[in-house]
Amino acid sequence: MPSRAMTELMGVAQRCLLFVAPLLLLLAAWQVTTSMGYVRPLFLPPPGSVAEQFLALLQAGEILEQLAISLYRAFAGLAIATAVGVATGLMMARISWVNWICDPLISFVYPAPKIVFIPLFILYFGMDHLSKILLVALTCVFPMIIATHQGASTVSRTLVWSAESMGTSERRLLSRVILPASMPAILTGVRITMPAALITAFTCEMVAGGGGLGAALVFAQRFFETPTVFVYILVMLMTGLVLDLALLRLRNVLLPWHEQDKEL
Amino acid sequence: MNTSFAANLPLLPAWVNGRARRLIRALPIAMLLVLWEVLVVSGLIDRTFLPPAHAVILAFWDMLVHGELLAHLWATVFTAFVGLGVAVVLGVFLGALMATNRWVNGLVGPLVATTYSLPKTSLVPLFILWFGIGDVTNGLTVVLGCLLPILVSTHHGVSSVPAVLVWSARAMGTPQYAMLRRVLLPAATASILSGVRIALGYCFVLVISAEMIATKLGIGKLIFLYGENGAYAYMLGGILAVVVIAFVADRSLVMITRRLLYWHDSMELRGAHA
Repeated sequence: MPSRAMTELMGVAQRCLLFVAPLLLLLAAWQVTTSMGYVRPLFLPPPGSVAEQFLALLQAGEILEQLAISLYRAFAGLAIATAVGVATGLMMARISWVNWICDPLISFVYPAPKIVFIPLFILYFGMDHLSKILLVALTCVFPMIIATHQGASTVSRTLVWSAESMGTSERRLLSRVILPASMPAILTGVRITMPAALITAFTCEMVAGGGGLGAALVFAQRFFETPTVFVYILVMLMTGLVLDLALLRLRNVLLPWHEQDKEL
Repeated sequence: MNTSFAANLPLLPAWVNGRARRLIRALPIAMLLVLWEVLVVSGLIDRTFLPPAHAVILAFWDMLVHGELLAHLWATVFTAFVGLGVAVVLGVFLGALMATNRWVNGLVGPLVATTYSLPKTSLVPLFILWFGIGDVTNGLTVVLGCLLPILVSTHHGVSSVPAVLVWSARAMGTPQYAMLRRVLLPAATASILSGVRIALGYCFVLVISAEMIATKLGIGKLIFLYGENGAYAYMLGGILAVVVIAFVADRSLVMITRRLLYWHDSMELRGAHA
């Protein structure tokens, strides 16, 4: 009779297998389609040649170099957006005239696709990193403001009143009560916004060039290097998956006291 | 962003209501426009970098009346909405199927989970290889990008319908084939529409990104073209058009949602009292 730990392990293995099965099925369909010669390798290269190209590019350091550029842009933009967004969100929650000024502007610009600003940003900040970082920041700042505002304006009144009755000043109230209490909402905001940061960084690079995974992808397409196109698409996919998992972990480490948001 | 939290503006006396309140709410936008105009006209900001507000509005008008704005805008909006429509149909269908059928869920679920984080714009170069530059590439990008949020929210909505509703319907003789249409989908409408709202935002981003990468006709291309030729007032006019359209589309969807879900909140209220 298998032990309990054993059964649990089997359960996990079974779930993993069930998860991977459709992906393997897709891979098999891809392999069959290409090896039967239904499509020209220019349009759909066989999985083998994509894997080969992946290893070659990895060995040449090409993938890591482009990935580093894209990640730098995405995270620099996200960091700016988080700093500005948290500050603005807190002020909007605590100061009514700030709310009055910011709310309509945010409601108006929030639904807009921020990518339309890229020609403007190129004009102001050049073709290199800065215009892309700032466009990522512009995309991410709105969800961050909204998440922070929501978190800070729903802090339990009793917490605020208790702190005030014990003579806490407004500044200390912000740093000791409101900010910690809004932390779960802010981190959720970061987690929701992170994919947007990545997507914006990639898209900017695809549109405007200047290095990074997106630019490399478009470059490969222009020279009809289809395996390379697939390699970069897969790298983007993996990047998103890994970062999402990492943020989920980070959140559980940073906020062990916030029980109800534990996931996985 | 919701209109709700601006309702309690402490600066306003109680007799200011309705339209006046809404006008006062929009005042900061007008203030920003005036500030922009003053800063540029007074020379604090160089005109070559930022044309004054009135020049942008004049350029917008000129493009609207004489220029090609409408043709480009129409191409963009048409692609975006057709793509969104196809995505809604496919997404609701697949999402409902996943929520009611174990096999479909087992097959499609992992594919959705793995591809969800893929930036869909990265497919544009691949689609250009396959379908060439133009509507098919742009439309397909929109469909794929909008599909996932709608599918996920439909799946979530349908699978979290209270079992009591299903039991009651069955007890009252609703046949199995009518369950989806009469019980599950209506109960999941709120969730589905929240997915559609996310997708509505995506569809504009996707179509404009695709247009900026390569296309024949579209507002994304037009904006880039004006930018490259240094016609910045016209470029800003194009950007303004996109911002306004995205805002109007989002507001319209919120209004439609309220219309469709007039019963939803009241149902929740009753639930809270029971």
